[in-house]
Amino acid sequence: MKNKQIGMKIVVSLSAIMLGILVSFLLIAPTGVSPYKAFGVLFSGAFGISGKVWPLWITLGQATPLILTGLAAMYGFRVGVFCIAQEGQYVFGALMAAWLGVQLQLPPWLLVPCIMIASIVIGGLYGLIPAILKVKLGVNEIISSIMLNNIATLALEYLVAFPLRADSGQKAQSAVLPQSIWLFQFVKGSRWGISFLLAILLVVITYVYIWKTPRGYELRMVGKAPLFARYGGVKSDHVILRTMFIGGGIAGLAGCLEVLGNYHRVMTGFSSGLGFDGLSVAMLGGSHPFGVLLVAILLAGIRQGAQLGLQISLKIPRELGGVLIALIIFFVAIENVYRPYVDKLYSKLVVVISKIGKENQKTREVQ
Amino acid sequence: MNEVFDFFTINLASSSIRLATPIILAALAAALCNKAGVLNLAIEGEMLWGSFVAIVATFLIRNQTTLGQMHPILATYLGIIVAMIFGALMGWFFAWLHTRHHVDLVVLSIAINMLASETTVYLMRVLFKQSGTWSDASIVQLPPLSFSLLNRIPIVGQLLNGYNFIVYASWVLVVVLVIVFHKTKYGRYLKAVGENPNAARSVGISVNKVQHWALISSGAMACLGGAFLSVGHLTLFTRDMSSGRGWLGNAAALFGFNNPGGSFFAGLFFGIADAVALRLQNVTKIPPYIIQIMPYFLTIVILSVVSYKARMQKSRNALH
Repeated sequence: MKNKQIGMKIVVSLSAIMLGILVSFLLIAPTGVSPYKAFGVLFSGAFGISGKVWPLWITLGQATPLILTGLAAMYGFRVGVFCIAQEGQYVFGALMAAWLGVQLQLPPWLLVPCIMIASIVIGGLYGLIPAILKVKLGVNEIISSIMLNNIATLALEYLVAFPLRADSGQKAQSAVLPQSIWLFQFVKGSRWGISFLLAILLVVITYVYIWKTPRGYELRMVGKAPLFARYGGVKSDHVILRTMFIGGGIAGLAGCLEVLGNYHRVMTGFSSGLGFDGLSVAMLGGSHPFGVLLVAILLAGIRQGAQLGLQISLKIPRELGGVLIALIIFFVAIENVYRPYVDKLYSKLVVVISKIGKENQKTREVQ
Repeated sequence: MNEVFDFFTINLASSSIRLATPIILAALAAALCNKAGVLNLAIEGEMLWGSFVAIVATFLIRNQTTLGQMHPILATYLGIIVAMIFGALMGWFFAWLHTRHHVDLVVLSIAINMLASETTVYLMRVLFKQSGTWSDASIVQLPPLSFSLLNRIPIVGQLLNGYNFIVYASWVLVVVLVIVFHKTKYGRYLKAVGENPNAARSVGISVNKVQHWALISSGAMACLGGAFLSVGHLTLFTRDMSSGRGWLGNAAALFGFNNPGGSFFAGLFFGIADAVALRLQNVTKIPPYIIQIMPYFLTIVILSVVSYKARMQKSRNALH
């Protein structure tokens, strides 16, 4: 039964991806490029393994913050809060890292963990705001998180333009961090480094936390059956706040790792819709950490392929990548419409596969 | 003293009304949906699409039809109507998905908002080869209307005169919605469906029909607000033109307890805050970011108060 459910989920996700690709074929048509060729270029721009820096490495590097913001959004989903404040948490985590990295004078082995913890704490605190507003006052979390994201973006613009500004040059940006605390990158210029391993580690920890610990059990119970949880003596408000703190902390860490491992400073326009991408990752990944990991790499690949492949070599606007992602989410959202057909197809497929399996067994027995 | 007076000129008042109009329209759209018990968070995306469709339709009508070539202003009006029809169709599509297939509107809204911001930029780049802003010299802005009756009243007349059609349409819509909510059968049905759909269904009200109409008209209103941005105020389209006004509209509807009048004043308040921020930027040396933050900050504070009050009200009602 459980296998069938998971199978169904995967089939629905796959059909959403197929439908998204089909519709984007229509959108490629006015550019006059063959859609097959476009998708070939998109794929090689995303997961290709050639050239000086393989596109695959860049994709993995780009996927790192997505994995983390996806995990952050997933915590919210699991506990039943549709929070989209990851963008703001990410921004504040990054600001914290850029500020402490320049201000604190500590040996690198001590400084890096200090910065990470500070970023996690500030991200978590920022994540607590919509949670408290939701739990204590009943404010719609989506609207409050949108406002918080806007506040964070403007705060970043202000801080980068005035107090944290490094020089009076054209671009508003903070000072570069000392090289001793830069996180190691596996391939130079690929953005793929230690942060990726940390993200994977967090995926595993999240899995263990949600499914193998009592606190994780409480979390799932509050999300799935709040009344049952309350009846069972779980303090659901407390669980929601705790979970949102964890989620916010992870998003804050994402910002911190981007600064330490990648940009080494913050500048205007640092946040670029990453929060919404994290949300999409969590939705497409079926709110499961391993799903989040896979989908984050896929989405990063689509964005990367659209930039490197489509825009540069075929002159198709790179927004096609974003369109494709949005279409996939759209088709996941409206799965109820085409689900009956997929269901029928899936059960037919299962029958056929089991028939083949039985025949194989028979032939083996005969032999 | 003189400076203070300069600051609060008629200019400021009229610019706040201009800035408030799209927010008011979005707020009315959101309030109507909230009343009907469907949380429509896609207003931001609908607005963005509305502004894109309005300017493209205006451009096509202006240059491709003889009617448009002869009457440029008429082309703009027709473009706005096309955008509203587009919005209504979109609302109908949402309603169909929601009532027929039980699609979760929150997830759908997130998808629609993303889709709107990506497709408009993509289409702008493919169709018009522009990456940031697109405009065409042939498109004519909505003309300001002037009523001679209003001109006779000294200060108020000056304040209320000289806006374009959409501004006045938004005011009329407020009045119409107040009448619909309080004086018609549909308004009573709307209230019943929003408060308890099952009870409404049990007395023979068609919940589907009520929600259909709410979503359809809110789509049209959101697109009208979007059209105000692209062909009403300026004649250009920029990437992410709605820039959060739809969300502010959602918030404004909640401030106004989902009443048309309340939403109107909440939207107007946002407009005034925007205009003051713009003005302060010119007059003082306060960094613009701090002023720009204020509306969002205020939104959170006011939303907290409003939600807290609503919750208290609910628990008090439960006691009796």
